[in-house]
Amino acid sequence: MRFRDALIAMFVAAPLLAGAAAEQVRAEIASRLQQQLPTLSIQDYGAGGAAFDEALRAQVDQNSGAAALLVEAGHNLWTAKFRDGKSLAGCFPNGGRRIAGHYPLYDARVKRVVTLEMAINQCRKAHGEALFDQADPQTMGAIEAYVRSLSNGQKMAVRVPAAAQARFEEGRRMYFTRMGQRNFACASCHVQGAGKHYEDEALSPAIGQATHWPEIRDGAAVTLQARMRECLERMGAAPFAAGSDELNDLEYFLSYLSNGLPLNANPWRPK
Amino acid sequence: MAHRLAAGALLAAAAITAHAQRPATALELFVQRGKGHCIACHQLPAGVGPATRSDLGPALDGTRMRALGKEAMRRVISDPTAANPETVMPPYGKHHILEPAEIDRLVEFLDALP
Repeated sequence: MRFRDALIAMFVAAPLLAGAAAEQVRAEIASRLQQQLPTLSIQDYGAGGAAFDEALRAQVDQNSGAAALLVEAGHNLWTAKFRDGKSLAGCFPNGGRRIAGHYPLYDARVKRVVTLEMAINQCRKAHGEALFDQADPQTMGAIEAYVRSLSNGQKMAVRVPAAAQARFEEGRRMYFTRMGQRNFACASCHVQGAGKHYEDEALSPAIGQATHWPEIRDGAAVTLQARMRECLERMGAAPFAAGSDELNDLEYFLSYLSNGLPLNANPWRPK
Repeated sequence: MAHRLAAGALLAAAAITAHAQRPATALELFVQRGKGHCIACHQLPAGVGPATRSDLGPALDGTRMRALGKEAMRRVISDPTAANPETVMPPYGKHHILEPAEIDRLVEFLDALP
């Protein structure tokens, strides 16, 4: 093989190999969950804990309009003009429609995982606007409620190119690492205990966990990273900050696991 | 059901606040989030404590507990990973979640379950 052909083959094969490694991880977790939960299909996992709780599913249906005010507030923030006349909507393809399923993505220039929240703040920074606090439900939470609703039904399609394999692996490692005073790993509940109940709450499977955010609790948007922080507190661990590399890597890993499942933003949840 | 559990936990917390100097009862240790919070994973026999759907760990009853024995219970509560590294049960003694005297009270409580 000539050098040029070999070089081309290497560049073509490298992303495939990286994708294959991530896909192997996803397949192994899927296989384990399917053995534990033989009555559910993987498509059902997108409902999270509600997949195991008929009463909760009924409540979710009854409260299907719970996000209406938030979505309206998010729309207003999304379309509000910056001082330079631009807006968040102008920073994203199609005004933000059907983009959420591609996040998080890997930015090779800065060698970091970029979540949708980070991309929103990058847009604001580029236009000279103050950044939103990623943990603020009134701003970032409302925007999430709106912009993710524009992708409802879109299948998750997160890519793990070769350069991002280390970030995916770091997310996987953290998900399976015991942390905090209670010595739980995320996987203790969401792989080992998926479908069982912690208190009265059905434990969502790792696959599907990234599809249905934000959740709407008591009228407020709870983002995936906010929920991760709650879990870390329950584990007796000091939570990583919203937008930290640790939570971004975890979100990247979890989002890839949900590839192929449709997004369903803003499901109602009890307090 | 979550509300019932939360109400039970609140009542237990309120009782603790009212008697700040009084050590937590075994049931309070079993239920409270800041203590054992065993109720999150284990169901108790009907009427003993809050009714839950918890099933991350096995349901606990007197027959099962007395078959295990007090010393084994104490070891399991203190560090369940010593016998089973895969368990998701927290190491209450090893990680200083509960004091030795609190573990003793829990052991007596479990041993006396119906």
